[in-house]
Amino acid sequence: MIKYHPDHNQLLQFARGEAEPAWALLIAAHVDMCPHCQDELDSITEKLSEQLLPEASLATTDISFDSMMFDIMKLEPIETETVIPEKHFLEWEGRQFELPRALRRVATKTESWTKLVGKLWQAPVDLGDMGKGHFIYMEKGGSVPEHTHRGNELTLVINGEFEDGHRCYDTGDFILMNQDNTHMPVSNHDDGCLVFSFVDQPLHFTSGLARLLNPFSHLFFK
Amino acid sequence: MLVGMSVTKEQARVREPKECANEMSDCLRKVAEQRCRVSFSTLFSFFAPRVKSYALRQIGNDALAMELVQDTMTNVWQKAHLFNQEKGSPSTWIFTIARNIRFDMLRKQQNRKEDICSDDLWPVLVEQTADPGEVDIEEQTTLDQVGEYLDKLPAKQQVVIEAIYVKGKSQQEVADELQIPLGTVKSRTRLALQRLREILKEHD
Repeated sequence: MIKYHPDHNQLLQFARGEAEPAWALLIAAHVDMCPHCQDELDSITEKLSEQLLPEASLATTDISFDSMMFDIMKLEPIETETVIPEKHFLEWEGRQFELPRALRRVATKTESWTKLVGKLWQAPVDLGDMGKGHFIYMEKGGSVPEHTHRGNELTLVINGEFEDGHRCYDTGDFILMNQDNTHMPVSNHDDGCLVFSFVDQPLHFTSGLARLLNPFSHLFFK
Repeated sequence: MLVGMSVTKEQARVREPKECANEMSDCLRKVAEQRCRVSFSTLFSFFAPRVKSYALRQIGNDALAMELVQDTMTNVWQKAHLFNQEKGSPSTWIFTIARNIRFDMLRKQQNRKEDICSDDLWPVLVEQTADPGEVDIEEQTTLDQVGEYLDKLPAKQQVVIEAIYVKGKSQQEVADELQIPLGTVKSRTRLALQRLREILKEHD
């Protein structure tokens, strides 16, 4: 069951089209998976449309409207959409995971899986100017070394469950971590756990051998 | 007939979008089914000035605001068949179209090429299509390998790197422990990281 959602302000910003691109992508993917947030977003959007399209101001008495209207009506209707390449399922070791709609286009830019330490796999996703996102798969017992965050870490659970020493997360959960949070994600679920994650600054590993990774942490999950 | 189809601003100023949702829904249906020009002119008269004032507030540039109005109303004319009354009111639908176009305009202005587009976020005008994408294959360095690479460093550099990055000691502590000058610790660290970076690049 989904327990962790974007808060109302994050949804509001998203609905206004003013959320940071990476946030918007993760929020959209969460909304695809979460009927509760879908309803809330619909009602926010309806209210916004009432507020933002209330009435025409005096500044809009524009003579060029008429010609615009006639120009538009010369156009033919568009019945079929152009086909956008999409990836509906992500494969890992022969298993298939259905992706939320919002991730299907960017998921076409997924690179191959790489095994990291400790039953942990990552597949980078090229997000263009936003940088990179990562699909991370934790096999049962797989964990990410304990780390804190220099910026924000956004995570969406695509399939499965994991815990991080503080809380348990389930399919569809939307998780925001920042410099105030130190955690060590681990999946004890029989089927492991697939997440999509975006960090805007490299992770900072805080314990054991993993500290060795810090000078190169931009290579992992970022 | 031209007179009857022109923009009637007085009418647009008095009425709330909510009050005429049914009428506007009918208009959208007629545009979708019959390319009804009278219905479109009703929609246009009502919504174009509203979208314009929204666009002006958001963008603050008249030419761009008019571009947004034109793109929004073009979508209304060409894609009216995608409107679904059960999913929301005409004004919500048209607002989302305008919001999506503004979002994409903003991204374009910021010169973002392969960024997300509004269709990913709010699929208001998109019909779902399936097409499995190509997957690039690229070798990546693993965490395991970084450990192995460490062995490739000269012994003196290894000691310093392990002390600092694995045991979490400060450079001064390492200097004291090894009884070498701080400057030497710094230069060994720098050289070691440089070498590791080169090794990582070679294996990339």
